[in-house]
Amino acid sequence: MGVASLVSTIFDLEPSVFGRWLLLLCLTLLGAGCATKQVVVEGNFPAPLLDPLPITLGVIYPSAFAEHEFFDEAKGRAESDWLVKTGEAQVEFWGILFTGMFDEVVHIRDWETVQTRGSDIDGVLIPAIAELQYTIPTHTNVKIYEIWMRYQFRLVDISAIHQQEDGALSFNPDERLASWPITAYGKTPTAFLQTDEEAVNLAAVVALRDAGAHFVTTFGATPDVAMWLDDIARRQSSVAEAPETAPVESTAPVAAPVASADPSVVRDTAEKTEPASPTAEEPGPVDREAASGEVL
Amino acid sequence: MSSLTFQSLLSRGAALIGIAVLLGGCVNATVDEMTYNEPVAGIGESSVVILGRRHAPDYDTEFDFIECIGDHIHSGDPSIEVINEIAFINQFYPWFEPRTAPLQPQTIDRLLQLPPVAERFTEMKLEYMIWIDGNTVDTESTGSMSCGIGPGVAGCFGFGTWGTESEYEATIWDFTDKVEVGRVSAVTSGQSYMPAVVVPIPIIAPVQGTACDSLGDQLLEYLSAHH
Repeated sequence: MGVASLVSTIFDLEPSVFGRWLLLLCLTLLGAGCATKQVVVEGNFPAPLLDPLPITLGVIYPSAFAEHEFFDEAKGRAESDWLVKTGEAQVEFWGILFTGMFDEVVHIRDWETVQTRGSDIDGVLIPAIAELQYTIPTHTNVKIYEIWMRYQFRLVDISAIHQQEDGALSFNPDERLASWPITAYGKTPTAFLQTDEEAVNLAAVVALRDAGAHFVTTFGATPDVAMWLDDIARRQSSVAEAPETAPVESTAPVAAPVASADPSVVRDTAEKTEPASPTAEEPGPVDREAASGEVL
Repeated sequence: MSSLTFQSLLSRGAALIGIAVLLGGCVNATVDEMTYNEPVAGIGESSVVILGRRHAPDYDTEFDFIECIGDHIHSGDPSIEVINEIAFINQFYPWFEPRTAPLQPQTIDRLLQLPPVAERFTEMKLEYMIWIDGNTVDTESTGSMSCGIGPGVAGCFGFGTWGTESEYEATIWDFTDKVEVGRVSAVTSGQSYMPAVVVPIPIIAPVQGTACDSLGDQLLEYLSAHH
């Protein structure tokens, strides 16, 4: 007597019905080992505790950033494919951080925003995720889930943003004011009653928070960004002095706002250097151009 | 014959459980304390925050352990306000993340140069900041257990045992004077057992709980006027 017949006798089921259930159960158990594990990163992100910099910042989240996901194919039968979607959480997190860090943040989604708000915007920040790596205990035999990310932030003048023939926004990477990397790391130990997906999500949230902390503490210390901040501070002080004094360009160094808690981070504002790209003295004319550039 | 075997199995199992109960739950704890400038009259209306260190590459101080110590202190003296760790870290984001958290009490002055941070500290009336560094790990494990399932029958038989060790150090910072005013450490270890005769019975040594109670008692003694 087969197992199916024996059990079907006990449970009063038709052998064929029980056989199907058994087959389904076996397939489920077999498939469980190689199914794709998917994580859509979610978390509650706090606003930063900062005095906002007196800057109107434009932000463009390229589609590769806003819809960022990471897929890792299983290396063996014992492993699973992993799909980690961080895009929504990235936009939410950086939106909260930038809003707390700058006086005003303009989310540039289309050409119309560039045209209507272009004259107010001091600079446009374009984040990108250059690399993401993760490890789980099955990879390393260490009871820790880790996520490591490397961002590449680019700061451009609004005049460097163009519209392509198809309506998409683009910018010329050569016209950037600054470009700098930010690395972030998040880990979470193996926790009781926590699934792999929950632990990876938690590690991603910790990594995002770490990225924010890294960004805040190094933003003003990045040389090209420091020059840009000096330039804005100089412009703002000259505008403030304009009604009472002759319209002479101020050469006095003005302490630009630095979002850093480390007082050892002191920038030499007396040294006047040229920015790497056309100056951001005035927002330049916003050209409609289908020139070659990086599509956003 | 089979009933005799089953009876002998049961009696052996009962003996194993008895031994395990006698041995289980035994936890060794060593507490070391060195404190200065104890607030003899207590901390009044001021508050205390207990934070875990999480900048080491291979471990994090557990959030639930920090919560356990906070609860222990508050239950021992309800007049002591212990600020929730996660709420504190979120309110001061990004200044108490693993990357940015101050490692020395003197560096708090740098944070206080930021007006919104200084304002929030004033609102909280924070008097002491206590940093806990350490974790709990399972050590060697031995034994074996077999489980089987058949139509209408399921069960396990065997015996397993493993050790657990906790090592934590609490560093107390006086927030007013920005100085370290004490260190308390607790090292605990214990052996857990899992005998199984049909049903596995875990006998867990409360190693982390003992470390929490030990550290909590010492911190309560330091902070409270009533202990």
